Amino acid sequence: MKPNFGTPLSSADIESGKVFSVSYEPRLEYAWDTGPAIGRYLQELKNGRLVGRKCHKCDRTFIPPRHFCELCFRPADEWVVLENTGTVNTFSICYVTWDMKKLTYPQIPAVIEVDGASEGYGILHLIADVDPNEVKVGMKVQAVWKPAEEREGSITDLKHWSPLK
Amino acid sequence: MRIPADHEHSAWKGNLPFGSFYTVGLAGQAFFEALRDRGEILGARCSKCEWVYVPAALFCERCFAELKDYTPVAHEGDVVSFTLCHLDLEGERLDPPDIVAIVRLDGAQSVLVHRGLGDPSEWSIGARAKVRLRDDREGSILDIEGFELI
Repeated sequence: MKPNFGTPLSSADIESGKVFSVSYEPRLEYAWDTGPAIGRYLQELKNGRLVGRKCHKCDRTFIPPRHFCELCFRPADEWVVLENTGTVNTFSICYVTWDMKKLTYPQIPAVIEVDGASEGYGILHLIADVDPNEVKVGMKVQAVWKPAEEREGSITDLKHWSPLK
Repeated sequence: MRIPADHEHSAWKGNLPFGSFYTVGLAGQAFFEALRDRGEILGARCSKCEWVYVPAALFCERCFAELKDYTPVAHEGDVVSFTLCHLDLEGERLDPPDIVAIVRLDGAQSVLVHRGLGDPSEWSIGARAKVRLRDDREGSILDIEGFELI
């Protein structure tokens, strides 16, 4: 038997109704339970500040906050308000968006170690307002927030990070 | 600095943009053209397995042979199973309930799933049912209104 390589179709075949088709857009809504730690994290983003959780036993402060210390296997002890500044841990310069559009000015996703958290603990976010060639690992940056009335309890309430002035 | 003890962000809500576009395929095309133009329910026969698939299929599920022998089956058959749906997709109560019927049309070995018509209390497994067609057919499974009891 000859292998079946499929049947070529053109847009005209479909638009003219020569080929029958079905299109469907399901409603895929979801609600993800944030839990106490991320719920509080989002609330504090709306307030315009970054918070972490601290474990007294191992003396670590982590962000994003978790309710539980995964090293000591016990509940973390307290909330800590972190600084509005941080250090670039790593970054990437992207001239293509997630949906493959070309960018003249790149997006610069980066892991920012937030001051006040333990060394190596940070969040993935964006760096902007900078010459892409000037971005370096170890560079000091500061958080740039949306105006309070536009904040909604989302990681995008923090617009981006820019070089510390 | 004091941090408020409660928060309002207990759930993160969103939706997934998702769309699908499906062309019915070679056997599907034959099935829907027969349905629209001639009001026939078209099956595909595998002579080796002595099996007739409805709707017509491109391949035999049993021996994987390509199926080219299209054959109309009867508009009547046996109710193999049915379900009474008292809730719609949104969870709203349906009164009377929707009937989803599985019918093996005479001449076919596989079954066809479609809406059941009429009084839900009259439906039973083993009853005889027949296809009710629409007059204004356009090449869709909805060209069949459903099954009605004989």
